[in-house]
Amino acid sequence: MEESPLHQFELQNWIPISLGGFDISINKAVVFMWIVVLVAAVLMVMAGSARKLVPGKLQSLAEMMVDFIRSMILDTMGKEGMRFFPLVATLFVFILFSNLIGLIPGSYTVTSQIIVTAVFSFVVYGLSLVMGFMLHGAKFLGILVPPGTPGWLVPLMIPIEIISQVARPVSLAVRLFANMTAGHVMLAVLFSLTIGGGLLVGWLPFAFTVAIYGLEFGIAFIQAYIFSILTCVYLGDAFHLHGHDEHAH
Amino acid sequence: MGFRMAPPQDPLYAGLGQAIRIATDLLAALIVGGALGWVCDTYVFDSTPWSMIIGLLMGIVAGMRNAYRSIQRWPKT
Repeated sequence: MEESPLHQFELQNWIPISLGGFDISINKAVVFMWIVVLVAAVLMVMAGSARKLVPGKLQSLAEMMVDFIRSMILDTMGKEGMRFFPLVATLFVFILFSNLIGLIPGSYTVTSQIIVTAVFSFVVYGLSLVMGFMLHGAKFLGILVPPGTPGWLVPLMIPIEIISQVARPVSLAVRLFANMTAGHVMLAVLFSLTIGGGLLVGWLPFAFTVAIYGLEFGIAFIQAYIFSILTCVYLGDAFHLHGHDEHAH
Repeated sequence: MGFRMAPPQDPLYAGLGQAIRIATDLLAALIVGGALGWVCDTYVFDSTPWSMIIGLLMGIVAGMRNAYRSIQRWPKT
């Protein structure tokens, strides 16, 4: 009973492996990452293999998801963004499935490890930088000076813009990690209150546990959505310099 | 309550998502600004604590700028 609510995030090495000084042991998070990939892949392949004109339940769910991601890309990046469809769809499906699978009691939420989300967000951000320099060359550095900046403000704007650019992948990573971790900590605290309280008082935290559990279900979707739409936004920024910046669309 | 595919279209969850985005936008820029300032202090200039203070101030500005940017992008409803 006297268990820390953070205990659920601790990882023990199940199969210790060391390769060239790096610790690449198999632990719970790794195993659940495999499970997420497996479940997502099997479900998607099953949904895609039917190819009926009148889709069944699974197929129409997958079609809805693909359509949702497609419209998200078209809204933020326009037509030329469709070449990033595989990347964005993979991120969305992986994050969604790991958030949802993490909600099963006894399982592990892969996205509650900041290293996982940080790798995703820095890969996305690095890709957008590489793309920007490939498309625009040195002119891409112009993102550091927003259009309409008066000349005397430029020395001040450049460090501020550098910070705000570096903050993008950080906020992307922290957002997903913090939301998943906070949700699970809250569930753990409420549930330990339920068990500690017994029947007399325990029903109140239990009601909250159920409510928060429902909320976490929505959060799982929201976080996958936010992560992938911000991926689109950052990649889109690399496409069109200052495109969406000063005039809202 | 039935879930359609996209809770983001549900007004409650859309508002929640926007709130989460703004909050972390503000926070992350502050962290980055402070960290850059701290690195300048300890490894570059030996000017504790001045560049960290400047970095934090710039982080506040940069965070507001990022938050302002994400507000601009929201679809009009």
